[in-house]
Amino acid sequence: MPDLNMRNNLLLCELKDINHSFVLPNGNPVTVLKDINLSIFREEIVALLGPSGCGKSTLLRILTGLIHPTTGQVLYHGISLKDVNPGVSVVFQNFVLYPWMTVLENVEIVLKAKGISRNEIKQFADKALHDVGLTGYEEAYPRELSGGMKQRVGIARALVVEPEILCMDEPFSQVDALTAETLRAEVLDIWSCAEKNPTTVFMVSHDIKEVVYMADRIVIMGSNPGCIRSILQNPLPHPRDYRSAEFLSLVDRIHSIITSAIIPDEEITATPVTASTEFVLEPMPDASVNEIIGLLEVLNAHQGERDIFHLAIEIHKEFGHLINIAKAAELLDFVDTPKQKILLTELGKRFVESDTKDRKRLWKEQLYKLTIYNRILDMLKNAPKGRLERNHVEEELVLHLPQEDPLKMFNILTSWARYGELFAYSEDTGYITFE
Amino acid sequence: MSNHVTKIFHKIWGGFAIPHKPIRFRWIDFLLVLGIAGLFYGFISVEKEWTGVWYPAVEIDLNPWNLPKYTFFSMVRGIIAYGLSLAFTLAYGYWAAKDKMAEKVLVPLLDILQSIPVLGFMPGLALTFVGLFHQSNIGLELTAIIMIFTGQVWNMTLSFYHSLCSVPTDMREAAKTFRFNWWQTSNWVEVPYAAIGLVWNSMMSMSGGWFFLMISEAFVLGHNDFRLPGLGSYMSIAVNQGNFPAMVYAIIAMIVMIVFLDIFLWRPVAVWSQKFKIEETGQQFATSSSFILNLLKKAGLLQYTEGIFIYLIDVIAGNPSFKKKVQVKNIRKIQFPFRIFVWTIYAAFIGLFGFGCWKLYHMLQILPLSSWGCLLWYGCLTLSRVLSAVAIGTLWTLPIGLAIGLSPKLSRILQPVIQIAASFPAPMLFIPIIIILKTAGIGLGYGSIALMLLGTQWYILFNVIAGAMSIPTDLKEASNLYKMNLCQKLKNLYIPAVFPFLITGWVTATGGAWNASIIAEYAVFRGHTLTTSGLGAIISHAAEKADFAMLTGAVLTMSAFVVVFNRLVWRSLYNTAQKRYTL
Repeated sequence: MPDLNMRNNLLLCELKDINHSFVLPNGNPVTVLKDINLSIFREEIVALLGPSGCGKSTLLRILTGLIHPTTGQVLYHGISLKDVNPGVSVVFQNFVLYPWMTVLENVEIVLKAKGISRNEIKQFADKALHDVGLTGYEEAYPRELSGGMKQRVGIARALVVEPEILCMDEPFSQVDALTAETLRAEVLDIWSCAEKNPTTVFMVSHDIKEVVYMADRIVIMGSNPGCIRSILQNPLPHPRDYRSAEFLSLVDRIHSIITSAIIPDEEITATPVTASTEFVLEPMPDASVNEIIGLLEVLNAHQGERDIFHLAIEIHKEFGHLINIAKAAELLDFVDTPKQKILLTELGKRFVESDTKDRKRLWKEQLYKLTIYNRILDMLKNAPKGRLERNHVEEELVLHLPQEDPLKMFNILTSWARYGELFAYSEDTGYITFE
Repeated sequence: MSNHVTKIFHKIWGGFAIPHKPIRFRWIDFLLVLGIAGLFYGFISVEKEWTGVWYPAVEIDLNPWNLPKYTFFSMVRGIIAYGLSLAFTLAYGYWAAKDKMAEKVLVPLLDILQSIPVLGFMPGLALTFVGLFHQSNIGLELTAIIMIFTGQVWNMTLSFYHSLCSVPTDMREAAKTFRFNWWQTSNWVEVPYAAIGLVWNSMMSMSGGWFFLMISEAFVLGHNDFRLPGLGSYMSIAVNQGNFPAMVYAIIAMIVMIVFLDIFLWRPVAVWSQKFKIEETGQQFATSSSFILNLLKKAGLLQYTEGIFIYLIDVIAGNPSFKKKVQVKNIRKIQFPFRIFVWTIYAAFIGLFGFGCWKLYHMLQILPLSSWGCLLWYGCLTLSRVLSAVAIGTLWTLPIGLAIGLSPKLSRILQPVIQIAASFPAPMLFIPIIIILKTAGIGLGYGSIALMLLGTQWYILFNVIAGAMSIPTDLKEASNLYKMNLCQKLKNLYIPAVFPFLITGWVTATGGAWNASIIAEYAVFRGHTLTTSGLGAIISHAAEKADFAMLTGAVLTMSAFVVVFNRLVWRSLYNTAQKRYTL
């Protein structure tokens, strides 16, 4: 690591005391990012890693100037950003090519916007397309291309304006695995050419191996609200080998940081129902009934125990989402999550081995143990005509879980209750009733 | 020869304006030149007509040899009106989508304007323009054009506005990170995104504009009989005189014009606009190829013009030196006068609105309370006719539309035919039908339902076909696998699937039926007036007698009926459909 003075000379971009929140339709603010401080230097690849919903993409959009943070500032070459960051260009997750333009036009258009003369446009665009191996595809429309080819166009378009910082928002998540592999190596090649921009790559990802393969500095984020958990240096020399011992040990280290940050070992089960008027409602992890049962089935097939990151790769789930499912199962006491492991509990095993009728009964019993359902059942008992309005429940959720999106929470809540036949909800009338 | 020309162009334009492959001239270029010359001649004769000495009522010669000339005049009016509509749409839609404050006024205003029957605009327009240009025909021509314009513009504007609002966020973000300015964003992102909807609505609008051609070109206002040379006035004279052959000629001329416009304008444009398709959306057009477009693509002349055009745009918008000049200016300084401009427009609007309300109040003061009750009652009568027409229309279009939409073969054959039939202005057929009904002993009270049906059934049919075409194959296969019979399929699949489309069709159809009631409930034939009691008849009668208080009252009542009905019935139905039946 270079000494501090030298690093200061290399400083390119700074995120200072960033807080970001937005207001839900019902008027409640939700904090997305909290106290973010991050410096970005020349000649490095920085990767943001974190579960979905931790605000990675929002942070990237703040850096590019697409979103203005609620408080805090972004410095580019020491100057506070007022508009779109002049030194970045973005590779988007869904490519975002204009479907009415050919491959060539999609690239040329960003040069035209810069006001470059027509001769140079042609020359630069040809070169950019050549660099990503798209020569011959100039006249094709994006709809004729595969995902990988589209992302090549996206990369060519981002590179053609020679940005200092190349921002990539989960660039390879919509691309098939083999193409993603090639593209990663190609981006590294382009970046490593020292005389030319981009000098820095800033990427967002949820794939740990991808991050370890590409990044020099790995920023691990936690959620609710989004914040930086820790920043790791990755000293491994390029080109990196996925199977080398150093590579795997770094991956493991990141695993343990994430698990301790997101599913801490202390017990998170239902808080007992108290007589006090102050309720503490559990936030419901975003997982569907089928996903929870699926997880239990898989665990049961693996002798009731699995490493969460291995499992994520095996079942092709993003680990951030798998963690949510595990948290949900843990809330219902079906699993335990010591360290990076998921263990099936006795109850979980009984659940998996039961038939549908018994499963529903067990599920219902577990729901009864959650404060949130007791609260709703109370409200339902006192509701006129035995009908509880959806709005009332949402208001209750906003009151006790101000960090969460009440609409989403309500949907999870009702879907779990429907499976357990705890209460019924009709979308048409907007009322909750007893079964 | 052409190579030589290319070299000269290279020298003049620096070479890069010319497409890279050599351009060859073909026989289509010759035809193109001929066509342009022909158009030029036509426009000169139009110009002569416009600036000619003012005469309130032109003598229309019913000799069929005059029809090409009259048809051309009408077509030019329609096209100019369309040009106005397009300009209005782009400006108004863009403003409403970009200015959050103006949006709150502009969008509901559009809703109301849409519900005002075309005839409601007529007296004001006629008196203003004829008064302004009483030396020449321009005033009357402008009146006719703007009446056609009011029949075309509103749905185009609404569609454009909605498209602008639904441009995906990431497309905007990409435009922002690549620092497109507002002109580039609208040119490269927003307008292309809205293009398909705009083309589709333009085709609908053009036929909507023809609907009132007869009234636009020949109308009576109090003692004044205004008439312009054109196809619409030819038809109305033929009707007045009861000249059947002339009516048939006019109808044929109208069909020829519609087919001509379809082949030479709309089909090429529609096929070309397929380029703007967003991947996921289903097909909206049955059109797949256009003979004319293929020819035009080969025309060397157009390629030259395109090259020059691109060059000019570059000079104006893309030239680095030009851009620098703009950037030097302080952004705030540019914004400041712009804001003043916007506020002036606001002020003008509010002032105009206040003045209008005040005038309206004075005008309506003469109407006794009993007249309002009367208007309300007549409104209900017309409403019942409108709803009957829509109901009958649904009864026949639902099965036929499903049959066409579910069979690719049928839809390929019938779609163009239906498009032509739909763009034919139904009022031209009204008189022949009234006569047929009369001989069958059916009065205008019931007959007007048939007339409304004639004009509006197509909207329902179109939407049912579109709905049926959008039913996913797997759902159809599933219903076959479970061996559902036709009745069960209708109940469980077809009708729920087309329901949202059906509602869109109903909304358009009722709007059209209200408009049609103005002509359908009141007809003059060989000097005899045939009428029935209804709001449409009141409007027609009041316009003819120049009874402005009654006319305004009746138009207001009709608009109120349309708006209230839209809000109370259609919107809630639409929401249910969106919630439950969207696939």
